[in-house]
Amino acid sequence: MSFSTIMEQMSMGMFRSMSIFFLTLLFSLPLGLVIAFGRMSKNKIISGIISFLISILRGTPLMLQLMVVFYFPYYLFGMSIGNWRFPAIIVGFSINYAAYFAEIYRTGIEAIPVGQYEAAHILGYSKAQTFFKIIFPQVIKIIIPAMTNEIITLVKDTSLAFSLSYIEMFTVAQQIAARDTTFLPFVIAGIFYYVFNLLVSFIMRRVEKKLDYY
Amino acid sequence: MKLGKKILCGIMTMSLAAVALTGCGKEKDGKTFTVGFDAEYPPYGYMDDNGEYTGFDLELAEAVCELNGWTLVKQPIEWANKDNELNSGTIDCIWNGFTINGREDDYEWSEPYVDNSQVIVVKADSGITSFEDLAGKTVAVQAASAALDVLTDEEAQKALADTFKTLQEFGDYNTAFLELEAGSVDAIAMDIGVAQYQIDSRGDEFIILEEHLNSEQYGIGFKLGNTELRDKVNESLHTLKENGTFDKLAEKYGLTDMICFE
Repeated sequence: MSFSTIMEQMSMGMFRSMSIFFLTLLFSLPLGLVIAFGRMSKNKIISGIISFLISILRGTPLMLQLMVVFYFPYYLFGMSIGNWRFPAIIVGFSINYAAYFAEIYRTGIEAIPVGQYEAAHILGYSKAQTFFKIIFPQVIKIIIPAMTNEIITLVKDTSLAFSLSYIEMFTVAQQIAARDTTFLPFVIAGIFYYVFNLLVSFIMRRVEKKLDYY
Repeated sequence: MKLGKKILCGIMTMSLAAVALTGCGKEKDGKTFTVGFDAEYPPYGYMDDNGEYTGFDLELAEAVCELNGWTLVKQPIEWANKDNELNSGTIDCIWNGFTINGREDDYEWSEPYVDNSQVIVVKADSGITSFEDLAGKTVAVQAASAALDVLTDEEAQKALADTFKTLQEFGDYNTAFLELEAGSVDAIAMDIGVAQYQIDSRGDEFIILEEHLNSEQYGIGFKLGNTELRDKVNESLHTLKENGTFDKLAEKYGLTDMICFE
């Protein structure tokens, strides 16, 4: 296979990996915040359930979770799951990453002194206003380094979609390697991941700088 | 927050594109025939020069589809997950150098079409020439493969496998050959057709031991109970055999000697 075909195939694979990456971020970032609220809920039952969920999601392999999400509609309800492959991957990744993000959000939210809530209350801010106008912008600043860590991990974790036979970049590399019986595609795959992660770190650093207003 | 907006905009575009891409994957009109195969299994199923999936089994499947007016969907699968894929209906059959022996009751089988053997591949300069020489050695075998079944079956070659130091399972053949080259394993147990392809493309650094582990046959595996589809495919294979398409494909992939379909 010519080098240009290899690059073309792997770029298509990279695009599929990136679709997982972006869609997972799109869903898991807000979902993580919701889970974080549940985790910090004063209601013991809610916070108990959420803690348990987080422990399952963090304590079992993502590959296993993907398989459960993909196959459970069939094994439980006998439903046809023909077109469910890609959505299942996104659901699996989003739930898993939301669990990690939730704990990062919690770190940030709990780092804000109680005095700020009291001050906002006296100034007449509603609870929602307090959170979104005062607390959350500070939370983002605190959690950005931890978030960058997780997001970079997500880039590399997209390769786990192979377990649901989704042909993302690393699987393409394996297929080309099998065909040409060489190691070259893996080297290219490594470079692809690295360059993409450089870009991610660059953007995150820019965001961090932007937020560095005091 | 201009940057934030830009990022958000990028995310939206990506997701739309992804949805559009996956959305148009399957067409509703006309029957589709989804073949599950391991895309790392040349010459039966692999990626060709242009990045399209091809191979003896896939071209044969294409010919069967043409006869019946079906649309062929080539679905590469993770081999260890093949039963889940088949049972849940994401694929219609497993068609990829799929060994019947030892799995007779697990699938609805087509008529056998290729005579296969499980063989041992070693480095040419390793000094290993017979099964006895494998005693105390590390032997690699693909997970969930027929070779693994042979080496763990009491009635087959388990006695031989017991003389090995370890039986090392791996995911794909390329990794196994890298390990063989690097010396972390001493031998690989695999299908003769695949072994031949690997040696052809890697040069004569490797050899196949003359002794074979077993002889067995390939068939197309359908979900238990799906005899209707199986009978149709069988019938089409007979037509293709009669009009010469079958033999032409076998010749193209260098499998003529191994064909057992009458």
